[in-house]
Amino acid sequence: MSGTQSYQLSDYLEKLPATTFRKLYQQPSTAFAIFRRMLPPLAKVFVQALLYMPSPLLLSQLDDVWVKSEGRQQRDRALAILRSLHIVQITPSGKDKPQEMQLTTNFKNSMRLALEGGGSHLSFGVPSALPVDPSIDIPFLDKYSRKKWEDILHYVVNSVSVYGDIGGGGSSGGSAAGPRPSVKDLLLAGHLVERRPDSKSGIVITQAGFTFLLQESNAQVWTLLLLWLEASDHAKGAANGGRGGAMMDSIDMLSFLFMLASLELGRAYDTESLTETRRNMLPDLVDFGLIFVPRENPRQYFPTRLATTLTSSASALRSVSAGFAAATANASGDAASLGAVAGANSAAAAESKGSIIVETNYRIYAYTSSPLQIAVLALFTQLNMRFAGMVTGRLTRDSIRRAISYGITADQIISYLAAHAHEQMSRTAAATGRPILPPTVVDQIRLWQLENERMRTTAGYLFRDFESPAEFAALTAYAEEIGVLVWKNEKKNLFFVSKYEQLRDYLKSRKK
Amino acid sequence: MPRATGGILIECEPAIKSIIVHLDSVSHDIIIEDLDEQHLLVRPNMVHLLKQKLEERLKETYRPEEPLADSDG
Repeated sequence: MSGTQSYQLSDYLEKLPATTFRKLYQQPSTAFAIFRRMLPPLAKVFVQALLYMPSPLLLSQLDDVWVKSEGRQQRDRALAILRSLHIVQITPSGKDKPQEMQLTTNFKNSMRLALEGGGSHLSFGVPSALPVDPSIDIPFLDKYSRKKWEDILHYVVNSVSVYGDIGGGGSSGGSAAGPRPSVKDLLLAGHLVERRPDSKSGIVITQAGFTFLLQESNAQVWTLLLLWLEASDHAKGAANGGRGGAMMDSIDMLSFLFMLASLELGRAYDTESLTETRRNMLPDLVDFGLIFVPRENPRQYFPTRLATTLTSSASALRSVSAGFAAATANASGDAASLGAVAGANSAAAAESKGSIIVETNYRIYAYTSSPLQIAVLALFTQLNMRFAGMVTGRLTRDSIRRAISYGITADQIISYLAAHAHEQMSRTAAATGRPILPPTVVDQIRLWQLENERMRTTAGYLFRDFESPAEFAALTAYAEEIGVLVWKNEKKNLFFVSKYEQLRDYLKSRKK
Repeated sequence: MPRATGGILIECEPAIKSIIVHLDSVSHDIIIEDLDEQHLLVRPNMVHLLKQKLEERLKETYRPEEPLADSDG
């Protein structure tokens, strides 16, 4: 919807060239991780069908066997994703020969290896043979990674210094240090926060930063990792063959991340067996809290939950609100609550108990003592009072306008309030059949935004100069099918799309 | 062969669009293509500046009231 960039793994992967994919798919763990994380169910069915097929499959056969006639759109999306990730090849349509599809060679071989085992690829990590310190167990790793990650979140949230006394009260985990300078630079480079000399702390959150805060933690980790990959790509370009040791190969980096995702939580792995590129990544990964390296024994590394859940399905992960719950529990020193993070289910249960009450008179009551959540609320609320375990405030035109001036959208605010509504609000809403948030408040937030945001922006590409009306019609139809069409005008023969890569390929295949 | 031009698509009311067109008329460095009465293609690096200028222009003419005066806060 908006013109700002979002860092998602799928966007990053789609921009990579085919040669990069060929190299990536040499690693069974990478092929398997992409299969697990990136594909919708129907695309997975296709891959499984094709995996052991000795010869290419006719595209028409695919439709006969696996696709219902009403599932045409899903089939097109699935195929579009498989092609953009270079998992399948489809021969161009010609009059003399029907279209055929097959898996790309490297993907097929690696996927088979991943399923059957075997090979000497060391793709799924090498366990350390050295004795392991018994104090490094799963609860320890969870606590460690949570602290590291919350330091980063706190840094982003604390960049909002509107209510220094209420909101920016520092971090609860007793961490004075915050994230490392390299992590701070990364957040700045990724425009999650921006330098603004007029604010108290010198930096402020951006729309991307707010989106980042509201993502579930798995998406947050990927956002940061992709920023990191990009930053090291830039560094490589800038230094241009300088000190070879410091230059990291982004393909190997990405493979390593996928490998981390396949490791077992609580086990020690051997750093000696890693390539130099990967060993150079370790300090940064320690800063992000993805791995733990014992000080006495730097030849071992332990993946944390942040790393091992990188490629699992999103629903299995704790979200930022569960993080709030954990942060609160942590602050109160409740040892038993450490388990709240270990079990994603119980964390989800904690999340479903929201804490915010919104009244029709724009008053807000939040039953929380988490500095993180209070700071997020302070982004768009005029907070008035803070009690033990509760804050009160009001949504005002100025508070919403200020939030919007940071680049936060009305929809983000509304969905945040709805997602964190107190269970009493949900109960009343269910009983009376009304929406959770008071409609007057929701409408007013949108109106306040309209005052400010008089235009909607979308980044993308304008297509023009078509050879025939038929070509225009075919291209717009295809763009609509794959979900990138934003605007079109038949009279002027113009259309606008959010991405062009697949349209370019489509054009090429038509030309043949 | 069709051509593709990168840029930011702006969707807005005709009134706002006419202000943008006016802003552009000074140095012609904002708009790439005037698409129709509610759409414009603009240079990506100008969007931030455009928003600022638009905000300034609207401030001169438009001042809505707070919907509800607060008694106690």
